[in-house]
Amino acid sequence: MSDPVICTTALTKVFKDFWGRTRVPALTALDLKVHPGEVFGLLGPNGSGKSTTMKLLLGLLRPTKGRVSIMGRSPQHTATRNRIGYLPEEAQLYQYLTATETLHFYGRLFGLNRTDIESRTSQLIDMVGLTHAAQRPVGEFSRGMARRIGLAQALINDPDLLILDEPTAGLDPVGCRQIKDLLGALAKRGKTVVLSSHLLADVQDVCDRITLLHNGRSIAAGTLDGLLKHSEKLQFTVETHTPEQVEAIKIAIRECCGEDPSVDVPTIALETFFVNAIANATGAADTPPSGVSQKTALAPFLGEP
Amino acid sequence: MRKLRQLWTLAALTAAETLRQPVCLLLTMSCVVLTILVPLTTAHNFGEEGRLARDSGLAFHLMFGLFLGGYAACAALTRERESGTAAAVLSKPVDRSVFFAAKFLGITGVVLVFSTSATLATLLAQRVALKYASDTGHLLDGLTAGLAMGSPVIACGVGAWANFRHRRAFQSTAMATLPLLLAVVAVGCGCFTRAGGWAPYHPQLQWQIVPASLLVAMGLAMLGAIALTLAVRLSLVPTVSTCFVILLLGLASDYVFGQSAGHAPLANLLYALTPNWQHFWVADAIAGGGVVSGTYMLRCALYAFLYTSGILCLGIVAFQHAEVS
Repeated sequence: MSDPVICTTALTKVFKDFWGRTRVPALTALDLKVHPGEVFGLLGPNGSGKSTTMKLLLGLLRPTKGRVSIMGRSPQHTATRNRIGYLPEEAQLYQYLTATETLHFYGRLFGLNRTDIESRTSQLIDMVGLTHAAQRPVGEFSRGMARRIGLAQALINDPDLLILDEPTAGLDPVGCRQIKDLLGALAKRGKTVVLSSHLLADVQDVCDRITLLHNGRSIAAGTLDGLLKHSEKLQFTVETHTPEQVEAIKIAIRECCGEDPSVDVPTIALETFFVNAIANATGAADTPPSGVSQKTALAPFLGEP
Repeated sequence: MRKLRQLWTLAALTAAETLRQPVCLLLTMSCVVLTILVPLTTAHNFGEEGRLARDSGLAFHLMFGLFLGGYAACAALTRERESGTAAAVLSKPVDRSVFFAAKFLGITGVVLVFSTSATLATLLAQRVALKYASDTGHLLDGLTAGLAMGSPVIACGVGAWANFRHRRAFQSTAMATLPLLLAVVAVGCGCFTRAGGWAPYHPQLQWQIVPASLLVAMGLAMLGAIALTLAVRLSLVPTVSTCFVILLLGLASDYVFGQSAGHAPLANLLYALTPNWQHFWVADAIAGGGVVSGTYMLRCALYAFLYTSGILCLGIVAFQHAEVS
């Protein structure tokens, strides 16, 4: 297997007060390995250490013990951060800058040339559905819109590693689906994604592997299939059936396995129902959107080899 | 090259964001209006025509500049750390030293805009002040006063128009327009006599106010560096309060530490470490008929540069070890 993008060994963080006294142990002996192209989830309740882990990965906080390596180097290394995109928990932005100015600002920090900045800004604003609000100060944005522009700034450098703290927080179901589709598309292009969330359905939809944190300790880790599969149970799904066929199948299973099978009609997820209904309504509407337009396509520059 | 570009980008953003804060406009407008109001509301001249206006103008410049610098430092660093914008920036390939230095440059830019307005207002206030002439008797320059007082109003009008027509930030447009308007008034008032009639060009401005204000601006830049360094660990109120204490200590350092500096090593050390604001306050020297020489200005600039550099180095070291969450 290729070298891990992220490797932490016995990573520990203890927060101290103004006088240097121990205030709260936030993370204890965390071992992580994230490989290229993976979508990795950090799960846990509030205060479990997810955001602290991310800030340690970015070099914003310094470990009390243990070590962190990102792409083989320290997270403090400037060249390392050149290849990372980060979306903070609360997408805090300079409130007096417009959406376009915000992306220009971050583009300049990465040393992009003017043409690239213009082109990427336009593509990203289109991708996150904020074309109509491109010239509005971000201080006037709703939480969901701020999240979208926060995601756009995290992608301006076409990063190899994307670290997203609660990426779907504050987004409507359509926005959540768009973000999840986007993460899937990025992973297919070889990007590594680390995300934190306490929205379990979101993690289940996009993550390959997870670590479950509780009180700063990892209490479960592995692939989603490995963690969630009930190996003793089996499920059959058929598209077309009659009551007679169902009865015949039940009899066959009873005779074969010695127990009555349960028969359910599968339902679609509420999110899927919501997204489809909104998509149909948007297609029928003849008025332009006021803030966010619904897009799903990845910005072209993110797909470049 | 890339670090220079980042430095410029971050400094420009800091200046723009600070100029767009309503409190900056409020402090600048208050300083200008109060400076021009002083000669209109006083009937004394303390033995020298225009002295009260000049001294008050310089004092307003210093005090409002102190609050502006302290606030700007906190907005640029403490609030960014608390709100998470600093984390978002420092997660990019930006050195902390570049980030910190850019914050100082941005704040200094704002202080310069403020100081330009304050200097022009003091020049105009000194001209407006009651003066005696044999033909007119004691006379206030009402026309200049009216034009100077109108400048903040017109600057706000320009800001509102730019906001309405071009969606530009009201505060920063008004802040940028104000010194331009005051400069126009300062140049234009030379065409009028104090009684308001046309006259051959003679501005009647006391140009010694310019180097005196420049020295105050240097002092404010030093205070800005101190405030920024304090803001690495402290929040708004403790930062501004500590700056105020340092200001008082620095104003009294000649008396408190200077007298014992020759024979007490501790007093010597404290005298050297405390910023000596007396170097930057030449209002009394001007009142006594003194002239602020170029050599004195250069020596003060060198003192301010070295002191500011030292404080900034301390701040950078502290910020390198600070946790950004």
